[in-house]
Amino acid sequence: MAATIGHAAVVIGLAVSLFAAAASVLAGRSGDPLLATVGRRSVYIAWGLSLAACAAMVSALLGHDFSVLYVARNNATTTPPFYSFISLWAALEGSILFWTFLLTGWSSLLLYRYRRDHAALMPWATATLALVAAFFFAVMTWPSDPFVTVTPVTAEGNGPNALLQNHPFMGLHPPLLYVGYTGLALPFALTVAGLVTRRFDAAWLRVIRRWTLGPWIFLTAGITAGAWWSYEVLGWGGYWAWDPVENAALLPWLTATAFIHSAIVAERGRSLRTWTAILVVTTFVLTLLGTFLTRSGVIESVHSFTQSAIGAWFLGGVLIALVSGTALIVWRLPDLAGSGAPPPLVSRESAFLLNNLLFSGLAFAVLFGTLYPLVAEALGGDRVSVGAPWFDRVSAPFFAALLFLLGVGPALPWGEVSWPALRDRFVLPAIVGVAAIVGGVVLGVGGAASLLTLGLAGFSGAILVGEVARAVRGRARASGEGPLRATWGVATRNRRRYGGYLAHVGVLVAAVAVAVSATQAVDATAVLAPGESAHVADYTVTHRDLVREPLASDPRVFETRAELDVAGPQGGSVSPALRDYPNSVVPIATPSVLTSATEDLYLTLLAYDTASDTVTLRLFVNPLVVWIWIGGAIVVIGAAFAIWPGRRTDTVVADPVVADA
Amino acid sequence: MTQSAPLPAPARRAWGPVIVVIGLLLILGWLVFSGVGNALTYYQTPTELAARGEAGVGQSVRLGGLVLPGSVSGPPTDLTFVLTDGTTEVTVHSTVAPTSSFREGAGAVVEGTLGEDGVFEATEVLTKHDEVYVAPSGFELP
Repeated sequence: MAATIGHAAVVIGLAVSLFAAAASVLAGRSGDPLLATVGRRSVYIAWGLSLAACAAMVSALLGHDFSVLYVARNNATTTPPFYSFISLWAALEGSILFWTFLLTGWSSLLLYRYRRDHAALMPWATATLALVAAFFFAVMTWPSDPFVTVTPVTAEGNGPNALLQNHPFMGLHPPLLYVGYTGLALPFALTVAGLVTRRFDAAWLRVIRRWTLGPWIFLTAGITAGAWWSYEVLGWGGYWAWDPVENAALLPWLTATAFIHSAIVAERGRSLRTWTAILVVTTFVLTLLGTFLTRSGVIESVHSFTQSAIGAWFLGGVLIALVSGTALIVWRLPDLAGSGAPPPLVSRESAFLLNNLLFSGLAFAVLFGTLYPLVAEALGGDRVSVGAPWFDRVSAPFFAALLFLLGVGPALPWGEVSWPALRDRFVLPAIVGVAAIVGGVVLGVGGAASLLTLGLAGFSGAILVGEVARAVRGRARASGEGPLRATWGVATRNRRRYGGYLAHVGVLVAAVAVAVSATQAVDATAVLAPGESAHVADYTVTHRDLVREPLASDPRVFETRAELDVAGPQGGSVSPALRDYPNSVVPIATPSVLTSATEDLYLTLLAYDTASDTVTLRLFVNPLVVWIWIGGAIVVIGAAFAIWPGRRTDTVVADPVVADA
Repeated sequence: MTQSAPLPAPARRAWGPVIVVIGLLLILGWLVFSGVGNALTYYQTPTELAARGEAGVGQSVRLGGLVLPGSVSGPPTDLTFVLTDGTTEVTVHSTVAPTSSFREGAGAVVEGTLGEDGVFEATEVLTKHDEVYVAPSGFELP
């Protein structure tokens, strides 16, 4: 029943999306408002159909309807309702279904918001979004049908991937990432509309930038939450391994971040327009490429590519988006051509230019490292992987330069700047930066990389604080308000600027935490019999008992946990465990983490011996890790503050093209 | 006369950013392409590793095989065992404790380098996470 409804919704969804695209193209060409309305409302219907298909799948999962192959593979009668629900995105077919729902949801939101605005442009955006939706509906109709049924119906299913049902965080980061990923189709569609209608101007760039920041916020939150999940659940003591799946999320984030910055320059004048359009297209292509890499199995081995048609479909999608986007930009090059004169070397324009060079350079490097093993295997046959140390070494200089720019950029004026002005703005922050390094040395922080990060963060942080303080002091003097009121007044009067500053502060916080935790972590391995203790940093960990029993929430899962007593800066009883799932040959690690503002004590049970109750533990003391998540949250809050609709809109810089017309 | 004086300034200024951009691209290229060869980890079987002979010594390798039954000795943090692919056997030494899934006769993947003495020094004993594990009986997939 659920399969019939779901399958029908998908097939009708494909037809409706294609119809929406056709109607919208006709509306774009003729300017007929009725056709535009038909196209727009068809997208709403496509959203409703994908919602119906998702609901059918969720009801099949919750009802353990094993006549649906996806449910039989990813669910069991004992799976708790929460994990049944989130199994919607636990495997390939379901995640594409969920993806389609989010994509059409974002599309409907955008089209509804502008249903009375931008009449000439919106049909083209509608057509683009409808075609992207049609692609995903087609993927679900042919190579990756989520509603394949199976006979005879088995009494018990295989259960969800053990790793994914071991922690409720699995319900958090995949949806955030998907919302971010799918949302990045909006700036692509808006850019296509701008290029087709030759209105890729300052006003339109502001629209595109707003609709990029929304998805970008979710992508940022998703990457942070994913790192958190990796840290809290996987039990290897780290949060980022430069794994292809992680890189797939990072790549569009890097180019979208570059776009968010270059759009600020592009909407001020005619420079960087072509580049900005290229960034939007690249970002969208990278979201498709990321799906291709993570979903086709091509990462495991190039040869797995041929085992499923899904890889060919996505590669085709990537190529179509890349070729059509490039062709469109080349076609409109005469309209996009810049003013030619490069900006002064030391100016805010140059800072933005350098920022874009760094973000796109970093994206190129990460893409190179991610694709290298595929190309090497396809050409030479050697199975190789590019190790995390290579990524660390290549990315570090980029991150250092970006940390420097992140303070300097906002403090530089547009255009020419005099040396005395530079001295006024940067001497004090430079002193703060040096003081931060000295402070780091005094506190015992070692390692050139973490000290450099501290120095750069101190320097850039002081600049940002100084900029805000200057504005607040000016407002307080003029209006007679108290400092808090004046700060709020300053910030809400120019949300974009001060939201951006707050996001920059979040990056600084996270950067210091990453650098210090990466270089200052201490770890040890210990084999303990009951009653014995291990020491790591200032902690003493005593093995009290080894307990083996089924999980109360799911008796099919057998838990072996080491009950430990911890004494030191943080104390208490913890019990890292290994869980044996009936559908996993490998036991799933369940680490224990004691978190404080200064450091985490992270304990993993590696192995145990039931005869002697001896346990093998890995113990980590990771400094400052909690500040990585806090930093990520600050970035998200800052960006959300920036796009929050205010009473007074930001000053619109007149676009020379529009002004001339 | 006075009008022509400011002209050279923008012309000279134009080269600054261009040089900076080219310089940065060169640094980027050097960072990305230099040393990627050293950063590679090769996936190999014991037979493939042995076939490399002296060239395989010191290179970062991910070695996969079965743990030879009866070959495991020493405490978890000073472990010696033999990894085999049925044809070739490689002795592995590890100071990193393996996880519970490590057992004699089971598959294991170790990362590290082959030493001059022919003993593979593992820096990591990995467990392969099977994405989908299908129960051996009672459940047949098409």
